[in-house]
Amino acid sequence: MSEMWINMGPQHPMTHGLWNLRVRIEGEVILDVDPEMGYLHRGIEKISEDRHYNEVITLMDRTCYVAGLAWEHLYMLAAEEALHIRPPERAQYLRVLCEEFQRIASHLMWYAAFVQDIGLMSPFLYGMRDRDLILDLFQSYTGARMTYEYMRAGGVRNDLPPGFTDRARKVLDWLLPRFHEYDQLCLGSDIFHKRCDGLGKLSAEECIRHGVTGPMLRSAGRKRDLRRDRPYAVYDQLDFEVAVADGADVTGRYLVRMEEMRQSVRILYQVLDWLDRHPGPVMADQLPRWLGAPYAPVGREGYLLKRNYPKGVGFSAIEEPHGEALAYVVNEGGEHPYRVKFRSPVFANLAASRHYLVGYRVADIPPIMGSVDVCVGEVDR
Amino acid sequence: MSDVTATEKPDENPILWVARPMATAARQFAKSLFRPSTIVYPYERLEDPKFRDRLDVASGKPFGVGQVWDNYRGVHALNIATCISCNLCAFSCPDVCIDMVTTAGSDPKHPKKCPQIDYGKCSYCGFCSDACPEGCLTMTTRYELSVSKRSDMIYPPERLFEVFRSKLPMNPIRLARPENEDAILLDPPLCIGCNACARDCPTQCITMLDVPKPEAKPGEKLPKRIWKEPVVNDSDCVRCGTCISVCPKECLFWGTRK
Repeated sequence: MSEMWINMGPQHPMTHGLWNLRVRIEGEVILDVDPEMGYLHRGIEKISEDRHYNEVITLMDRTCYVAGLAWEHLYMLAAEEALHIRPPERAQYLRVLCEEFQRIASHLMWYAAFVQDIGLMSPFLYGMRDRDLILDLFQSYTGARMTYEYMRAGGVRNDLPPGFTDRARKVLDWLLPRFHEYDQLCLGSDIFHKRCDGLGKLSAEECIRHGVTGPMLRSAGRKRDLRRDRPYAVYDQLDFEVAVADGADVTGRYLVRMEEMRQSVRILYQVLDWLDRHPGPVMADQLPRWLGAPYAPVGREGYLLKRNYPKGVGFSAIEEPHGEALAYVVNEGGEHPYRVKFRSPVFANLAASRHYLVGYRVADIPPIMGSVDVCVGEVDR
Repeated sequence: MSDVTATEKPDENPILWVARPMATAARQFAKSLFRPSTIVYPYERLEDPKFRDRLDVASGKPFGVGQVWDNYRGVHALNIATCISCNLCAFSCPDVCIDMVTTAGSDPKHPKKCPQIDYGKCSYCGFCSDACPEGCLTMTTRYELSVSKRSDMIYPPERLFEVFRSKLPMNPIRLARPENEDAILLDPPLCIGCNACARDCPTQCITMLDVPKPEAKPGEKLPKRIWKEPVVNDSDCVRCGTCISVCPKECLFWGTRK
């Protein structure tokens, strides 16, 4: 049979966003793949150079629309290093609270989309239903469900509302047995195993060679987690395990994400206990005037040139729900960052798709690409 | 818990492989008959008091939908009476969707300018209400904005004032001012005493004080200027920077008062 190229995307149920997977097939077998990204490119790095340090966070929520708070945390860590600001400890715990809740929400979103890719409809509804509880929690303290704009240079915007920790604990108590239910629905189903076992193999060495990080690397048995290996914020004071599996396949990635959600719940219990016991300020008290939250700077060239704030360079790396995300912020003394650079984990994971797709069948593409957890806003930035 | 390695199937009856997920799904289905996770939106609303405790999972009550909390960032409410036209909301807007327009009914000689918001552009980030020094621009819990004409997305100040008068729950969060805020400083040799800063100051915190006119030495020409200088009252100043923007000689600047 002759070879042919087919386009899966930009509009395809498998892509979960705007990107195109070109596949060269012979019969049912994949010979070559060519991922095409860039349909959602908005130039976020360039726009950031024209915005004040705090205004960039409105872009961060839109960089990855399922893990906005994790990207806000990433940017703020780098920006604060560049601006020589140290947030108070309570603000750091609040950020960890945000990030871990966001990790659960992002993984639930992944779970919902992934099981639908392999043809199971009801788990999709369960995943979305439980994610909504977390979005309710987000709304009760950040003020929005998807675009949070919660973190500021020097801390976070506001403290938790009264009674929040009790409500959050109730949600966590609800979530833990649900993870067991998900396992019953997926791991207990023969259909799931027949569609996922042994697919999309990518060994740890190959993962490292191609820059693949996150649950894909951990599913290959490598214990690599920036929260443990390069602790940022207050992760060195928290007790958790790094989830690994040894399948290096789609089922392994499922197991890693499920275990990560359980570990996030474990972290969140500790964080909520800490927040109950340690009230305090959530904003650093020594801030440059133009970073003080209530104030907006005035745009006028003569005024901009007179500003003289210490220069600096900031770098941060966090374990985002999809993998290792890096940010680099250069502060040249003005009120805008001179340069902002982000490293998106999903971009690297997608770019390596040739190495875990070739040799499988066309019908295997949805489960394999579903297990990568593609977020196109983050790929294209 | 952490060593998740069980990828191989357990040895069980193959019938169970189908029956077990079906049983889980059937259990969920039976529960959802009595405890729905959704609401019938136009007829039921999240603001209804009966949804207040829907998040109460432990007590066995229905769960699934939350509520619209008071700090939800929806449509803005503007109290025109306390607005001082300082422009800080317009400056802080990342989307440039706020224009300062003349309020209807204000004195044409001294027009009062208040924010007009284009909700076609607004991203509901809340920077404007954070920036407002008087607390007159806040965000409410109103989230229904559908209109049939695109021009209806633009809310003039009067319409924002209507939202304010409808007494919706408002965002209760007020940010504290940082203590080490800079002050407006003057570069005296550049000043020409033109009064522009004092005229445009929204809080009237700038006073023009006389400065002594120096004696001209023989052969020296004194600069042509009005012999007055602005003095800023720091406790009234909201740091909006209007005086810096209007200064024709750029003699005002931000700095730390010694």
